[in-house]
Amino acid sequence: MSLLKSWKFWALVAATLVWARMPWFVQNNYQLQVLFRITLFAALGLAWNLVGGYAGQLSLGHVAFFGIGAYGLALFHQIPLPLWLSLILAATVATLVAGLIGLIAFRLRGPYFTLATIAFGEVLRLTAANLDVTGGAIGLTVPSLFHGRTFWRQFYLASVALTVIAFIVNYWVSRSRFGYYLLAIREDEDTASAVGINTARSKLWSLLLSAFLTALAGALYGSAFQFIIPDSALTLEISVQIAIITMLGGAGTLLGPIVGAALLLSAQEVFKNQFRESHLLIYGVLIVVVVLFLPEGVVGGLERLFSRKPRAPGSSKPQPALGGAAQ
Amino acid sequence: MIRFLQACADGLLTGALYALIGMGLALIFGVMRIVNFAHGAFLMVGMYATYVLFDLTALNFLPVPVYNFIVGRFGEHGLNPYWGFLPAGLFMFAFGWLIYALLIQPVRNRSHFMQILMTTGIGLILTDGAQLIFHADYHQTNIDLVNRGVHLGPFGANAAEVLSFVIAVAFVVGLRAFVVRSRTGQALRAISQNPEVAPLMGINVTRIQGFSFALGTALAGVAGGLLLPRLYLFPGVGEDYTTKAFVMVVLGGMGSIEGAAFGGLVLGVTESLTSLYVGNKWALIVDFIFFLLVLSFKPSGIFGRQRA
Repeated sequence: MSLLKSWKFWALVAATLVWARMPWFVQNNYQLQVLFRITLFAALGLAWNLVGGYAGQLSLGHVAFFGIGAYGLALFHQIPLPLWLSLILAATVATLVAGLIGLIAFRLRGPYFTLATIAFGEVLRLTAANLDVTGGAIGLTVPSLFHGRTFWRQFYLASVALTVIAFIVNYWVSRSRFGYYLLAIREDEDTASAVGINTARSKLWSLLLSAFLTALAGALYGSAFQFIIPDSALTLEISVQIAIITMLGGAGTLLGPIVGAALLLSAQEVFKNQFRESHLLIYGVLIVVVVLFLPEGVVGGLERLFSRKPRAPGSSKPQPALGGAAQ
Repeated sequence: MIRFLQACADGLLTGALYALIGMGLALIFGVMRIVNFAHGAFLMVGMYATYVLFDLTALNFLPVPVYNFIVGRFGEHGLNPYWGFLPAGLFMFAFGWLIYALLIQPVRNRSHFMQILMTTGIGLILTDGAQLIFHADYHQTNIDLVNRGVHLGPFGANAAEVLSFVIAVAFVVGLRAFVVRSRTGQALRAISQNPEVAPLMGINVTRIQGFSFALGTALAGVAGGLLLPRLYLFPGVGEDYTTKAFVMVVLGGMGSIEGAAFGGLVLGVTESLTSLYVGNKWALIVDFIFFLLVLSFKPSGIFGRQRA
């Protein structure tokens, strides 16, 4: 296999092994928790990358899948079903919901698509906040997937595993015909469809894959913190956070979401102690800086610096002013 | 039946304020094709501006000598919000123009993707900046008007609501007249209809876009000032209004200013009826479902026309 001869592949394997060994180097559970969040959001960023990066569809509703993952795990386990079966079922439900959302939202373009995804996320948040079965505003206890004294370490390893899976999916997409379809849709959807790409189906598949991975991450998150409320597991903030991480690192690149998660979440840790209540301020500032000066993200910018390959999710060319409301 | 009509009337009273918010967003979208995700944050800033004018002690984040000077000069108690919304609106106009010049103009030819991110970022900065300056405390303006009632036959309403309704309607009518009649209004519609040809007709696109962004921001600010006496003020207060404004603008046809005004009234009545028949907490969900239905089946808006 040519893969085994590539130095990039072995560098990644080595990096993954080092990353997976991190728990043995940190002193306390708090640091481990920070590492867990970074890794988990790297996985979320990679999942979002399929839709937002490759297909260029700015979804701000991914918290829907995240939340369904977390709530689903809790609710299926209450029935009661076995823990791991609940996890798979929760992710499956999220994927089905993604199919429904995709069927409606992908008929819309540009800002209309983004608005629709936000609306879906908000409908779920408000519904979860008002129904009894989801515990209303008080929320639910989520069963822990791992137990024992070293449970944080196991959650961390699970998040690393999920990131690796999400990375492999991204790698496959970036090399496959399907991935090229998505890129074509990102660059110019009308032309893509004119040359015979089934744009609706490609976008839907990217969303389904993305939703499944996002739901697994959501379940892992809920399970690690053992408790979810609508304002923690279904808030618009998480959708924004996932999108920003990917954009900061570089949407449509393989390493971008990982770099973005590491940068953003460590910046957040530093600023959390500085501005207690206003930890999102750093997000806002970073978004503005990225949009103004680094539209291709850190990894995208570096790649361009070294290879001069033109690529960016629509950062370069101005779109027609009307943007086509809907098909 | 009386209850139904009363709920409709309540809805219209709120709806007029919504109309102001929606028109601001529609104006910005119409002229720039930018979906302003910071609209609710602008509303919140307008509320804080009005609140600061009402209670000057809220300025205690300023350096002590400056604070002492201001409070010494004007006393602790300032303007009634029903006057204060005017200077607050002017302030928001300048503020909007500043935001346009610094942050929006550089991205106006970029993709929607980047523009949405930009306005989202501005919204986050404003909300968390307010949190940093004013902290997460809840504020309230206790003015007499809120406790006074107005009666008309079997119907009753709060005097403050009626007053803000009258002011909001005046603004809506004034804005419409401005857009239809004035020269700037014509330029504004020209850009909205064809941004490529408008500059060839001698229209300064940057200036008009800056003006409309500022005006849209000011309308959100005015609506914020008028809402202040009826709501608790905290940094996150605007969040729901961003999404509500989207709902109105989509209902009315994206970019149509009159449409957004109707959208505001429709939304106000829908919310009020939902509260009456289903329950208060479901009002926002019904908003969103309504929104999704319109987006999926008639993205050009329920009032049909393509755009302003």
